[in-house]
Amino acid sequence: MDVFLQVLANGVMLGGLFAIVSVGLTLIFGIVKVVNFAHGEFLMVGMYLTYLAVTGLGLHPFAALILVVPVLFLLGALTQRFLIQPLLAAGDHHIQIFATVGLSTVLINLALLLFGADIANTPPSGLRQPLEIGPVRVLLGQVVILGAAIVLVAGLQTFLARTRTGRAIRAVAQNRAAAELMGIDVNRIYALTFGIGAACVGVAAVLIAPLYPTSPNSGTYFVLIAFVVVVLGGLGSIRGAFVGAILIGLIDSVTGFYVGADMREVAVFGVFLAILILKPSGLFGRQLRLSHVSP
Amino acid sequence: MRVLARALAAALTLGAAVQTTARAADVKFGALFPFSGQLALLGEESARGVEIAVDEINAAGGVQGQKVVLARGDAVDNNQAIGEARRLISLEKVVAIFGSYSSARSIAASQVAELSGIPYFELGAVAEEVTGRGLQYLYRTNPTAEDMAKLAVEMIVKKVAAGLGKKPEDLKIGIIYEDSSYGTSVAGFQKKFAAQAKLNVVTAQGYPASTVDMSSLVLDLKGRGIDVLLQTSYQNDSVLFLQQANEAGFKPGAIIGGGGGYSMQPTADAVGHKVIEGVLDTDFTQYLVNTQYTPGIENFVAAYQKKYGSAPRSGHSLNNYVGAKLILQAIGNAKGFDPDTIVKVAQGIDVKDGVTAVGYGFKFGKNNQNERAAMMGMQWQGGKLVTVYPDSAAVAPMEMRK
Repeated sequence: MDVFLQVLANGVMLGGLFAIVSVGLTLIFGIVKVVNFAHGEFLMVGMYLTYLAVTGLGLHPFAALILVVPVLFLLGALTQRFLIQPLLAAGDHHIQIFATVGLSTVLINLALLLFGADIANTPPSGLRQPLEIGPVRVLLGQVVILGAAIVLVAGLQTFLARTRTGRAIRAVAQNRAAAELMGIDVNRIYALTFGIGAACVGVAAVLIAPLYPTSPNSGTYFVLIAFVVVVLGGLGSIRGAFVGAILIGLIDSVTGFYVGADMREVAVFGVFLAILILKPSGLFGRQLRLSHVSP
Repeated sequence: MRVLARALAAALTLGAAVQTTARAADVKFGALFPFSGQLALLGEESARGVEIAVDEINAAGGVQGQKVVLARGDAVDNNQAIGEARRLISLEKVVAIFGSYSSARSIAASQVAELSGIPYFELGAVAEEVTGRGLQYLYRTNPTAEDMAKLAVEMIVKKVAAGLGKKPEDLKIGIIYEDSSYGTSVAGFQKKFAAQAKLNVVTAQGYPASTVDMSSLVLDLKGRGIDVLLQTSYQNDSVLFLQQANEAGFKPGAIIGGGGGYSMQPTADAVGHKVIEGVLDTDFTQYLVNTQYTPGIENFVAAYQKKYGSAPRSGHSLNNYVGAKLILQAIGNAKGFDPDTIVKVAQGIDVKDGVTAVGYGFKFGKNNQNERAAMMGMQWQGGKLVTVYPDSAAVAPMEMRK
């Protein structure tokens, strides 16, 4: 029984990790309708920034948030303004996707040039401290990640539902042309949303860096599963991404223990396919009306 | 598209023009390694060994009185490995190619060399498939995945079991491996040799190297009461496993890693020197080794330090250095650079164990594989990777936690 609880706890912690990486991705997709293939590399950039802030400036990782989150916001907003926006006129969505793939390759190779292929270690600063909760043992850093994921999801939901800017963002997502006619500066909203999405992955980066070694390829490790999570939850659904992440984490952990490490991906992707076949729009997804996207 | 093709052609001609600086009396060899991309770090490290070998050969008068010039080819991926091999052979007119660190690149590029009848000397790729494809001009000097597995099992039988106070056959052995061709092939040989030695392999599990969580695997191993764990992995998964094993309180009597992540200082720094203390490793010859068994290793380290301004970053440079130097010396004793002449003198190489800077000897056997090549056993002690096996190469005794 104790082992089962530990397996579940591991699954939930892993789910929290997937959730925090996925939130920004689903936000950007839901609003800007761009699948950002550079999302993992944003994470990697954030992890390197955290590493530099902690080792260079001697900050606690949490204090690095003040630095990393604004930089990532800027990176996201600039990506939208100078890479995606000029391509909106192209009318074909695939071009934007290729642009983000290109950005991802550029970022990986820049990191290779600047930092080399070796791993960089952010000091754990106490976040690797084990916590004993009943029969279960988890790391402090994992609990922080799960908590932060919950706060991010709730915060974003509230922001989108309650604030004037949030409503404007949703309006743009629902019908870009109508929103524009209502006087909303669509390009500003897109840049803002992309920025917020990138800032979310900045938060993820700060919390992940003390627990995982950073390398130019770090992003790729996390992002494949983030895509699965986002599609599973329903593209664009923030709540869906969270539920999807926890689900994937649990499946991964339970299969890994009871079936075998080599069957984990089979189980994860099997469930993923099954859900898509039964409910093509994902757990919480609505039918997307992409016809409204292009002017 | 046509513009692109023309630009490419222009760039190629320009590149060829710039690189054809060798004098008429020089003899040119290719150095085909991944110099950019994901494998760049250890690709470059491997090539440095070849460069030092060439420096030393030239300082001693060159090969057959001619100065050796290296033409670099960047094997950033398999396709480019093929393209660069073609360029080295047809444009640079190299007489032989040294390579390639990556097994996949080596397999691709050596086909091209074979078709052109140019000798290809593999100094660092470990996959079994590199040799044994019936290639006539491919020779490999370094130990392989099979040697790695053989050594791990040998260490268990001869040292680890006694250190743990048990009979080898009473130990519960666990094997985990990253599930690409590298990990799968080493693990396959580990299972084979373990079965031959009548060891009790309780479980063997693969996992994707890109995994971000191994906690369920760790729990499983802990539940099975594993005494000796073998892992074949890259760097990220080595770090992840050692950290999560430590945090879950999984402390087997011995952990034996295979190359890759386990030999690198940043891995030890990431995991923490306390956590990695006592962890064993099977890999190419490293630097904290009995210099009586590896004569010349100090000179190599000094030459490396002088040329590149830092200590060698891994054992790759050393293994490439010794392989390249022996081949060049052998060619120096021949007459002419005809491919068949080169191959013939390579066949004649006969070097005993314990006389080169890598320790292992050289004699090409079946499939043109160096049948004397062997890996060594290392252990992390006090934050340093020291050689503990075989005894002739060891600088410290193997320490077991009981």
